[in-house]
Amino acid sequence: MSTATTPARAAAARAKKTEPEAAAGAAVLKALWARPAARKLLILAAAAAVLVPVAAATHGSGTWPSAFTVDLTKPLTGASDWIIDNRDSHWAFLYFFGHVSGAIIGAVHAVYTVLLALGWAGVTATAALLAWRVAGARVAVVALASFAACGLLGMWVPTMRTLALMIVAVAVSVAVGALLGLAAGLSDRTFRALRPVLDTMQALPAFAYLLPVVLVFGIGVAPAVLATVVYAAPPMARLTALGLRSTDQGVMEAVESLGATGRQRLLTARLPLARRELLLGVNQTIMMALSMAVIASVIGADGLGDRVYQALSTVDVGSALAAGIPIVLLAIVLDRTTAGAASPRSSRTTARTRRATAWAAGVAVVAAAALTAGAKPWPDTWTVAIAAPVNTAKDWMVDHLYTGIPGIGGTADLAAHYTAWVLDPLRDGLQALPWWGALLLVAALAWLIGTWRTALTAVLSLAAIGVLGRWELSMDTLSQVVAAVAVTLVLGFAIAVPAARSPRVERLLRPVLDVFQTMPQFVYLIPVVALFGIGRAPAAAAAVVYALPAVVRIASEGLRRVNPGAMESARSLGATSGQQLRQVQFPLARPQLLLAVNQAVVLVLSVVIIGGLVGGGALGYEVVFGLAQGDLATGLTAGVAIACLGLMLDRVTQPTKGARDGA
Amino acid sequence: MNGNDAGTGAPTDRTPEHTPQAAADAPAVFSVRNLWKVFGPKADRVPGSEHAGLSPEELREQTGCTVAVRDVSFDVRQGEVFVVMGLSGSGKSTLVRCLTRLIEPTSGTIAIDGEDVCGMDKGALRDLRRHRAAMVFQHFGLLPHRSVLDNVAYGLEIQGVGKAERRAKAAEMVEKVGLAGLEDRRPGQLSGGQQQRVGLARALAADPEVLLFDEPFSALDPLIRRDMQEEVVRLHRDEGRTMVFITHDLSEALRLGDRIALMRGGSVVQCGTPEEIVGSPADDYVRDFVRDVPREQVLTVRRAMRPAAADESETGETLDPTTTVAEAIETVARTGTLARVVEGGRCVGVVDHRSLLGVVAGLDSSRRAVA
Repeated sequence: MSTATTPARAAAARAKKTEPEAAAGAAVLKALWARPAARKLLILAAAAAVLVPVAAATHGSGTWPSAFTVDLTKPLTGASDWIIDNRDSHWAFLYFFGHVSGAIIGAVHAVYTVLLALGWAGVTATAALLAWRVAGARVAVVALASFAACGLLGMWVPTMRTLALMIVAVAVSVAVGALLGLAAGLSDRTFRALRPVLDTMQALPAFAYLLPVVLVFGIGVAPAVLATVVYAAPPMARLTALGLRSTDQGVMEAVESLGATGRQRLLTARLPLARRELLLGVNQTIMMALSMAVIASVIGADGLGDRVYQALSTVDVGSALAAGIPIVLLAIVLDRTTAGAASPRSSRTTARTRRATAWAAGVAVVAAAALTAGAKPWPDTWTVAIAAPVNTAKDWMVDHLYTGIPGIGGTADLAAHYTAWVLDPLRDGLQALPWWGALLLVAALAWLIGTWRTALTAVLSLAAIGVLGRWELSMDTLSQVVAAVAVTLVLGFAIAVPAARSPRVERLLRPVLDVFQTMPQFVYLIPVVALFGIGRAPAAAAAVVYALPAVVRIASEGLRRVNPGAMESARSLGATSGQQLRQVQFPLARPQLLLAVNQAVVLVLSVVIIGGLVGGGALGYEVVFGLAQGDLATGLTAGVAIACLGLMLDRVTQPTKGARDGA
Repeated sequence: MNGNDAGTGAPTDRTPEHTPQAAADAPAVFSVRNLWKVFGPKADRVPGSEHAGLSPEELREQTGCTVAVRDVSFDVRQGEVFVVMGLSGSGKSTLVRCLTRLIEPTSGTIAIDGEDVCGMDKGALRDLRRHRAAMVFQHFGLLPHRSVLDNVAYGLEIQGVGKAERRAKAAEMVEKVGLAGLEDRRPGQLSGGQQQRVGLARALAADPEVLLFDEPFSALDPLIRRDMQEEVVRLHRDEGRTMVFITHDLSEALRLGDRIALMRGGSVVQCGTPEEIVGSPADDYVRDFVRDVPREQVLTVRRAMRPAAADESETGETLDPTTTVAEAIETVARTGTLARVVEGGRCVGVVDHRSLLGVVAGLDSSRRAVA
């Protein structure tokens, strides 16, 4: 008791002493000081009052001052030239990078050869067999149908190429991620060192990873696989570490009390107990790898992504769709299969012999299928060409839906209005914002939501963009992100609230969200180009559609999981449903809602950047341009700016545990 | 015995085989001396320093340390059930973990069969945990991905016992704790009581010298708990294995314990037989603790008897000195006259209505104090 009361009493005594002496203004200040949010703003305002006049006087109030920029074009071009010149002679390339790249190319080629040797029947049967044994009969049927559909669309060979690349990338990602996760799971120090790195990597858009890899490895399959690994390994590492660290302490203690050695504890208890997280990690890694493998077509990955990319660059929606559908199907099959493995099944008491027989029968079927059909790709005569009819339909849409629909206008009109009335003013506003104002705004937002550390990171990231000389373009990207996030949040919360309140809405929504959440970002570009043409508006639309499912899911789950006791007591006091929502559900679900905002920002940014491919301009286009022209300096600085922007946006919206105590 | 054995209201129904005297002269299995466990920064400086005498609150304020076990000494004798009881936070769970160094003690000595536990290297300690002391946990600590049989065999697997042998041994243990037929289930498919039987079987499978129980039945509902307690009594009767039993439940302590150590704030406030604890509480805390215990069911006639007058040692029913007062009341009420307490053929005293009622009313302690 004494511990709690003495400081409180001392504080009370102190307060009593000062109160009469304090002037009225000081009292107001003190009342403000008592609120952590107001305290932070006061400190910031004081700092601004000192620094801003100085900054404004010396460097003006317009865009980022040129005195603070560093021109990296020369050194970067020099470095890239040096690498290109020395790629065939320097020892680092000959003995290390060369071998890495050779091994990757060899592995992808080997897998591709195996897939070709199995033939279409063999591959399809193998996929169905794996899905059946791992996740059940229903998923097996989905797998069978999906692979058949890939063949029917005439996309068998690109699908196999993508699959081969995926298999290698996923294998490497899982191995790397599991090793990192193991280290972080077993050692506190590694965990503390690794966690911020993994957190940050997860917030960065996929595009940011492309350029450093290209710098070293050039364009081709090897850098595509490597970029994929860099992008896809973090979730595996994260979930492995999480799983190993969250094992039931009671079980671990019991195992220790039986005299298990360290290795026995790991192999017989810790790893099996973390099985769910490990499989979830594999699932996440596969999904990330798929989305990246498609994006990596920009740096030389062939296969489905390349087809979509080529088709989109000529606005050939039909071909893009024909290549996009297999991507979606592949995503669904891979997701359901690995998720099925991770979900606990009620009773797995089937005898070992029966399981063995099932496997044997399956393998026999696969072998038979491969032998009868021969090592052939999908027969050409069995394909359905959908590109032409889709393009006809799209042309009809262009003629009839784009404009002139009475009352609502048309999709093109909508896009034009969005661009003219929302994006342009926002972009101009952001670009007209004094550079110190932007920094101050970011600092205030980040500090209010998070801690001074997150605020510092956010401000430094934004400043880094300025230093790189990418201020204007970043403000353009930022305006697209902000507008799309606003739309996403409005729509997302509007859907999440009914979903949280009515189980029926939730049941209806869940399969839709499931499908949408498994699709790679790239795919969303296809329908929006069909609907809105090219420009900034379709990129925003794709971003909204991509981010919406995650926002709806996180927000509705947060609202639904609000302490039922608190809800019940509010109801018993006679609160209306509006009051319940405003006064109980929203405040209690605040951490989840903030997480939804954070996810919206991160996901929207990743698509807005890719939107550079369909006329979104700004930073994304710079990256693509840099890659296409071999102008790595442009591409690299844009890539770093993207990373900084991602870091800044993530930190600004990152609620941390420390935020509560105002630390 | 009077057939009252199955009465559910009675907190104790101790069998005669279960007498404290049985183990009184047996050698000590665990011998604990001046054991301290302090959590916090520079914890090792607290025992023996000027801080050692402070109350837990003062200690936390001055050093930032929390003391879980404070200068505890006791012996666990071979073949006895030694109960450590106390409310939550009294340090009893920490104490039992110190015995096999699942929690490293801060200072003091622990010996098992005269061998220093604190000085053991990793290998010797592992050996101790594998073969000599096995533990049963409150939350079972079963491996959810293994079948019942494989869970029971787990300890043997760790020891490197061959598959056939360990499965045979495990099947035997599963049978022993009454789970025959459930060998292939997963722990998640069992009730709490069944899961704890698996935990018990796992501990027994290694055939340890001592069984350590850490509040094993606290998570179970009352009827199951009673079943499990009877299971432990039966096991102890059949095998005579030494047991250290941690509990916060007084009736469980009285029912199972040959001797009870009562803990408060990390210290042992009293250590003795159930009769000593209930009959002669060491301080007000213990007295308060045992206030609601039905005394007549714990105390024996040894406590109620008075010296026989000249003519009284010849007639009347005879009682063993370990007979509880409740049973003596039944005899005296039935015969309507006093009963003799006979030990080794010699009358050591008599009990009558007055002396027995005195015990029930709690007058005996004051009378003893006078005597």
